[in-house]
Amino acid sequence: MSFDLNFIGILIGAIMASSVPLILAASGELITERSGVLNLGVEGMMIIGAISGFALMVVTDNLFFAVIGSMVSGLILSLIFGLLTQSLLTNHVATGLALTIFGIGMSAMIGKNFVGIPGKEFPLLFLNLKESIPFLGPIFFGHSIILYFAFGLPFLTNYFLKKTKTGLIIRAVGDSPTSASNQGINVTLVRYSCILYGGAMCGLAGAYLSLIYTPQWIENMTGGRGWIALALVVFATWSPIKVLIGALIFGGITILQLHMQAVGLRIPVQLLSALPYIMTIIVLVVISRDSRKIKLNTPTSLGQIFYKEK
Amino acid sequence: MNTKLKVSEISKIYPGCIANDKVSLEFGSGKIYALLGENGAGKSTLVKILSGVVKPDEGEVFLNDESIKLNSPLDAKKNNIGMVFQHFNLFETLSVFENLSIDSDKKDEDLRVLVNDILKKYNFKIDLDIPVLNLSAGQKQKVEIIRCLIRNPKVLIMDEPTSVLTEQETDDLFISLKQFSKDGILIIYITHKLKEVLSLCDEVAVMRKGKVVSVSKTIDEKIESLANKMVGENLNTIKKKINNFKNSEEILKISNLNFKSDDPYETNLNNLNLSLKKGECLGIAGISGNGQNELFQILSGEIITDGTSIMFRNKEIGKLNPRERREYLMAFSPEDRISQAAVPELKIYENVALNNFKSSNFFEKGLVNEKKIKEHSKKILSNFSVNTDNVELKSQFLSGGNLQKLIIGRELITSPELLVCFNPTWGLDVGAINYIHETLIQINEQGKSSILISTDNDELLKLSDRICVIYKGKLSKIMNADTVTAEKLGILMGGGSID
Repeated sequence: MSFDLNFIGILIGAIMASSVPLILAASGELITERSGVLNLGVEGMMIIGAISGFALMVVTDNLFFAVIGSMVSGLILSLIFGLLTQSLLTNHVATGLALTIFGIGMSAMIGKNFVGIPGKEFPLLFLNLKESIPFLGPIFFGHSIILYFAFGLPFLTNYFLKKTKTGLIIRAVGDSPTSASNQGINVTLVRYSCILYGGAMCGLAGAYLSLIYTPQWIENMTGGRGWIALALVVFATWSPIKVLIGALIFGGITILQLHMQAVGLRIPVQLLSALPYIMTIIVLVVISRDSRKIKLNTPTSLGQIFYKEK
Repeated sequence: MNTKLKVSEISKIYPGCIANDKVSLEFGSGKIYALLGENGAGKSTLVKILSGVVKPDEGEVFLNDESIKLNSPLDAKKNNIGMVFQHFNLFETLSVFENLSIDSDKKDEDLRVLVNDILKKYNFKIDLDIPVLNLSAGQKQKVEIIRCLIRNPKVLIMDEPTSVLTEQETDDLFISLKQFSKDGILIIYITHKLKEVLSLCDEVAVMRKGKVVSVSKTIDEKIESLANKMVGENLNTIKKKINNFKNSEEILKISNLNFKSDDPYETNLNNLNLSLKKGECLGIAGISGNGQNELFQILSGEIITDGTSIMFRNKEIGKLNPRERREYLMAFSPEDRISQAAVPELKIYENVALNNFKSSNFFEKGLVNEKKIKEHSKKILSNFSVNTDNVELKSQFLSGGNLQKLIIGRELITSPELLVCFNPTWGLDVGAINYIHETLIQINEQGKSSILISTDNDELLKLSDRICVIYKGKLSKIMNADTVTAEKLGILMGGGSID
């Protein structure tokens, strides 16, 4: 029995690990969207984060630089998005889509020389506790520092948005940029900051994939996680805690279907691989029934270009 | 403490429009100043300059004889200039208190004490912890005012504050403003409503086409003298003949109509009943947001209801879409000219073609019959005195008044039996308003009926044969217009009842 329990613990640990990139990217995008900016470039920023993290790790042989570098590269990509949408007033949706296409292409090009290189072992914390405590050990211990950060992030984000002045300003900008501007708030600055933060978190999410989760570079290795993160933000009705819950559900289904494949259930593999995505849609549809609630929580100005009167 | 505010030679030019042309004015505390003018006269530009939202091209602002720079709203705040905009600058999804705290440097606890003091002093009743979304327009305005009062303003500018208020709320506002004035705050009151100027203000400056045309004491002025200064010409007054419709044929009947919306920003309609006789104008009053939009859409067919509750000329039309309703000779003029009634990017004749139906022959075998449409459009332009004869002009280049004439013309040229209009003179200047009013009276005289949904009580009293009030999605009793006064309407619009 204790063996089974331990196995479930390991399974839960694996589910947690697989939801980390979703939590990071979605938490970042949530802040961006709360300021009224819809950045559909999450997938692109993640994959750029993944390749830059991996490449820096190979070149510098230093994981710290690799992680920081991945965040900076996500940030740079989001800066391009910011310049286009905030300063040149381009359409958010089109620009975000372009960013994703650019990111995927760029990462494939940079990544050519890094295919097949083995990754470096990322330090995991409390490994001895993981071994010695059955069930709870594999859940709470033996993870990377980034995982602990990711699981703390939604709570920090929640506190930040609800309790701090800066959080209040971000929500206000997302509600009505014109009113905020008339109140003397620098809307463009607030939105730039939120975009850059979102970019950095997406970069970190990518680094988690290429440095820790599957420590190697594979072309297109984000595999649509950026889109799932985007959907999660909506599914969670812009609430950080619900983002965490949603990410765990998606991560859970991803891991479980892998196990179902391994067990050899007589369900087509293709169907099983599609399961997390199908579930995304189903969950979204079910949740979206309450359009009233979603509408009240939506940043009212989401996706709108803000133009300041002169 | 005395405050003196002076604007000197302020000019602001937008492409194709001189919004402010060397405007100079002086204000002193202890008085309430009116800034009067039609839409587009330049009042709003001037107050935007004073509040730092817009930068002037030329000119200076002096506060207590010192030149001040107003490059951003923050500069206005630093100089203790408070501003309540016509369109509220509130964050709907945030709570009242969050709305107030966002631009205060005080600690939350201190701010709460201060706000509660202000609430007590001026007898405002507002729950600080509910989302602004749930407040009435009058309460939202109070939140805006409190936001200014927190900063101990020397100057308080109110931009068309009563356009969204009931009569009762307006009275309350005037009491508060007089109190502020007594407390030493200089008040500048922007409006195009003449009655308000006379009942509230001490001095009045009239603006026309970007220029100040007159500054005077209100005791020396009358409504007529101010109106003529504002418009720059003598206006003839319109009067409608009172008719009796007892024996006329009933043309429209709505019985027990309900509408429930999923959208929290929309209003539900409860148990609507009304009937309309041939040649009659039914006015529907109310403060905006009480269900007028939904009622208009139900009448026009944008919202489809059950088949039986709407009868038009003895046919059930509830399930018909707007085009099918037009076939039955109904016509509609929606509130929003730019986004609902016309497509601004399209040319005039293309906009005319949008309102086509089988009998119009605008389209043949799926092709556009351009010649026919253009002829038809030219007829509309000349019959309804639209200020252009170029049907190729893009509609966005028409002024509001001319666009409204085009829309009304497009609807009326097919001789409909019923015209439903929603705020047809919203935002128009006095000349265009006069024209639209004359047209609406004319169609009644020709035996056609009309429903006028409007937030302008004077307009309703002028044009309607019978009037009712919509409040929170419910219609009041329908009254004969000659028994109704603005005061009665005001009470009903605020949810009160009369005998």
